[in-house]
Amino acid sequence: MSARETFSKWWRIAVLVLLVSVALYALFIPGGMFGSADDGPVGDANETETDDSLHNLVFGLDLDGGARISAPATGMTVDDVTLDHGGTPEQAQQAGSDLESTLRESFQSEYDDFQAADVTVRYHQGDDSYTVEVFNDNVSAAAFAETLSAEGHDVSESDVENRVTEETRSSMVSVITSKLNQAGLSGGQAYTTETLGGEHYIVAEAPGYTAEELRALLEQRGSIEVRAYVPDGNGSQENITLLQQEDFDNIEPAEYDNERNQHQVGVTLHDGPAAEFESQMNDIGFTTEGVEQCSIRQNADGNYDFSDSGDQWCLLTMSDGEVVSALGLDRGLATSMQSGEWKNNPRYNMVTGSGEGNEEAAQHAREISMNLQAGALDAPLDFGNAQVMSVQSSLGDQYKTDSVLIGLVAVFAVSGMVYVRYRDPRVALPMILTALSEVVILLGVAAAAEMAITLAHVAGFIAVVGTGVDDLVIIADEVMDEGAVSQARIFDNRFRKAFWTIGAAAATTIIAMSPLAVSSSLGDLQGFAIITILGVLIGVFVTRPAYGSILRKLLTSEE
Amino acid sequence: MASLEVPELAYEEYTNRQLAAVPLAILAVAVAVLGITFALTGAPLGLGIEFTGGAELTIATTADQDEVAAAFEQEPTSIQPVEGSDQYIVQFAASDLEGFDEDGQAILQDLVDQADENLAPSAGADGSSPVVGESLTSASFGQQIQFTALIGLVVAFIGMSAITFGLFRTFVPSVAVSLSAFSDLIIPLAFMSLFDIQLTLGTVAALLMLIGYSVDSDILLNNHVLRRSGSFYESVHRSMRTGITMTVTSTVAMLVMAAVSWFFGIGLLRDIGLILAVGLIADLMNTYLMNVSLLRWYKFEGVSR
Repeated sequence: MSARETFSKWWRIAVLVLLVSVALYALFIPGGMFGSADDGPVGDANETETDDSLHNLVFGLDLDGGARISAPATGMTVDDVTLDHGGTPEQAQQAGSDLESTLRESFQSEYDDFQAADVTVRYHQGDDSYTVEVFNDNVSAAAFAETLSAEGHDVSESDVENRVTEETRSSMVSVITSKLNQAGLSGGQAYTTETLGGEHYIVAEAPGYTAEELRALLEQRGSIEVRAYVPDGNGSQENITLLQQEDFDNIEPAEYDNERNQHQVGVTLHDGPAAEFESQMNDIGFTTEGVEQCSIRQNADGNYDFSDSGDQWCLLTMSDGEVVSALGLDRGLATSMQSGEWKNNPRYNMVTGSGEGNEEAAQHAREISMNLQAGALDAPLDFGNAQVMSVQSSLGDQYKTDSVLIGLVAVFAVSGMVYVRYRDPRVALPMILTALSEVVILLGVAAAAEMAITLAHVAGFIAVVGTGVDDLVIIADEVMDEGAVSQARIFDNRFRKAFWTIGAAAATTIIAMSPLAVSSSLGDLQGFAIITILGVLIGVFVTRPAYGSILRKLLTSEE
Repeated sequence: MASLEVPELAYEEYTNRQLAAVPLAILAVAVAVLGITFALTGAPLGLGIEFTGGAELTIATTADQDEVAAAFEQEPTSIQPVEGSDQYIVQFAASDLEGFDEDGQAILQDLVDQADENLAPSAGADGSSPVVGESLTSASFGQQIQFTALIGLVVAFIGMSAITFGLFRTFVPSVAVSLSAFSDLIIPLAFMSLFDIQLTLGTVAALLMLIGYSVDSDILLNNHVLRRSGSFYESVHRSMRTGITMTVTSTVAMLVMAAVSWFFGIGLLRDIGLILAVGLIADLMNTYLMNVSLLRWYKFEGVSR
C-alpha cells in the first residue's frame, strides 16, 4: 500500500485522535494551553479550591458561586452641541472643558447634591460636535435643556435623551473592572449588553461574592473631589470645586502617620491641574490670610457642621458628595504654594482624621485611595431596573456534580439505545466513542478558551451529544443499507450520500442558533448557542467523517 | 434482550387526507389550548420570573414547606421543594412586591433578611444564612428579555425555513418541513401550558434545540424521497428506519435527563429534557404522517399538475 493510500485511509481518524489528545492536554495538564488558567491573585480563599482541581475548566457563576448584577446607567444625553473654538484639537478640547465647568457651576448653584462628576462634555472630532451628559437624578430633562439654553445653545426638552453615551459606558466598565480587581477578586469581570430594544445594561460579575456585597461595591460611585470652602467677600461662605478625580496622577496607599497622628493618603497632581490649583489657592487667599483658618469640625453624629460663623478657609475632601474631611491649609504647604515652588513637586497629603484608633478615618483613607486609583463610576447605576443573580458556592458545587451525573446517565441511555438497535458492536461501540470524543473536544475548547461554563453550556453539551448521535445513526444506516458493504468504493459512495443529509441538518441547526450566539442580551442562552454551534462544526468536519473511516475499516473486506 | 425494529406503516391503505388528519387535529387542539389560555390569562402560557420580573431565592433550611411560606411577609408566588435535598426554590412575582419597581435590590435584600431571621440553615448552606442562591429581574428587564427571546425564536425559525428552501428548491417539500417544525414547536408549547411549565430562558433553549432536532428527520425523509432512486414507499421506509432510530434515541436520552434532573432539582435541565421529549414525539407523528402525506401528494399529484 502506498503512503498516499495509507494517508487517505487514515487521515480522518488521525485528525480525530490528534484533536482529542490536544483537548485532553488542554483539559488536564496543569497550566492548560496557555499556562494562564490558574494564575489567580494570591490570598483569594475562594479560588484555592479550584486551583487544586484536576482539570482546567473554568466555571461560571451558577456553577462556582458568586453574584452578578446587570443594571442600566442613570443619565441624560444631549447630542450634537456645537461650540465656537479656535480650530485646533487642543482648542476644541478646551472649549469643551470650559463648557463643562460653566455647566457644573450653574448646576451646583441650583442643586445641593450635584457632584463635580455629574456633568461631562465630550468632544467628537469627526463631526466637530460635543455631547453633554448629566448624571444626576434630581435634574429633570427640562432643567437640563434650560441650563444648556442659558449658555446659548438651542436645546429643547425633546433633545434630551434618557441614556448615557457609549464612551461613558465603556469607561464605567473599566472602572468596575479595576474595582473588582482591587477587591482581590480573580475572575471578576464587567461588560455591557444591549437588548434588542436598544437598552444598554452594565453587567458586573464577582465570583465568591453575595449580591449584597457586590451591590455595595457598585453602589459606591467612588467619585472624589476637593472643594474650597471660603468667604465669598459678602460676609458668607461659598464652595469652589478645585480638584476632580482626573486631576490626580499618583495615588499612594492609605497610611497612618505616627508623627502627626493622622490617617492620610498621599496624592500627586498632574502638572497642568497642579499649576492651576496652586494659583487658585493663592487667589482665594488660602495661602495668605487663610492659612490654618478652618474650624469646621465633625459633630458627634459624624456630620460636618458648617454653621460656624466667621471666615473659614477649609479644604473639603468629598467622597460621593459627602464631606469626609475639612481642613485648613498647613503653613509649610502654604509657603511653598505662595512661592510658586509647589507645582514642581505637586504632592500633598489628604488627611481624613486624627487618632490612631480612629477607624472611621482609617476607613475613609482606604476608600479614598481605592476610589482614586480605580476611578469613579461616570454615572450611578439604576438598581431599580437591575437583574441580580447570586449562587452560594455550595449550591454551585452541587450543580456541578449533578450535571456530570446527568450527562453520564444521558450517555448511557443513548449507548443502550444504540446497542439495542444495531446489535453489532462494530457499529455501536465506535458510535458511542465518537460521540463522547466530540464532547471531550468541546470541553477542551472550553478549557483552552477559558470559557466560563454555566448550566446553559451543560445543556448545550447534551444537545451536541444528541445531534451527534443522530448523525452517526444516519451514517451507519446509510452505509449498511441493503446488506453488507464489501467494497470500499460502494462504502465511499454511500458515505457521501449520508453526508449530504448531515451537512443539511448541521446548516439548519447553525442558522437556527446563530442569532442567539451573536446577541449577548440573553446572557445564558448565548453560551448554549455557542457550544451547540461549535459542537455541530466539530461534528461535521471532524468526528463524523472519522466515524465513517472507522466504519469503513471495520465493515469493508478490502485486502 | 428486546430488539428495536422499526415497524413498517401500511401507508398504501390510507389516503393523504386520513394521514394528515391526525397531526393537523392535534395541532388544532394545541393552538386551541394556547388560545384559550391566552383568552383566560392574557398570556398563552405561564412566563417565568425572568420574563415577568420578580425575585427568586434558593433556600437550604431544616424548616418544612409551610414554615418556609410563613417566613416571608409577602406570600410567595410559588415554593418548589428540591427532591433529595432540604432546599426550596421560592419565587415572588414583581407585581406582588410593593416598591419592587423603584428598588428591586432593596426588596430582594428584605426577603433575604426575612429568610435569615426566620429560617434555620441546614447543612447544605455555607454559613449562617439559609439563602444559597438569589436572583432578581426587574419587570422592565424581563420585558426586554421576553421580546428578545421571541425575536430569537422567530429568526431561528425563519432561518431554518430559508435553509430548507435553499436545499430542496421546491415549494411543497420545503413547506412540509416548515409546517412540521412549526407543529413541533406549538405542541410542546401547549403541553407547557397544560402542565404549567413556565416559559423560561431554559425552555426557550429547548424550543430552539427542537427546531434543530426536528428538521433532521424531515430533511432525511425529503432527501430519500426526492433525491434517491427507488419507489416512494421504499424510500419512505428506508428513511423511517433511520429517522425513528434517531428520534427515539434522542427522546429516551431526554426523558432520562428530565427524570434525573427532576430528582436532583435542576429545574433548567429538567424542563429542557421534558420539552424536547414532547417535541420529539410530536416530531415523529408530524414527520411520518403529515410530512409523508404532503410528499406523497407532491410526488403523485403535485408534480404532474
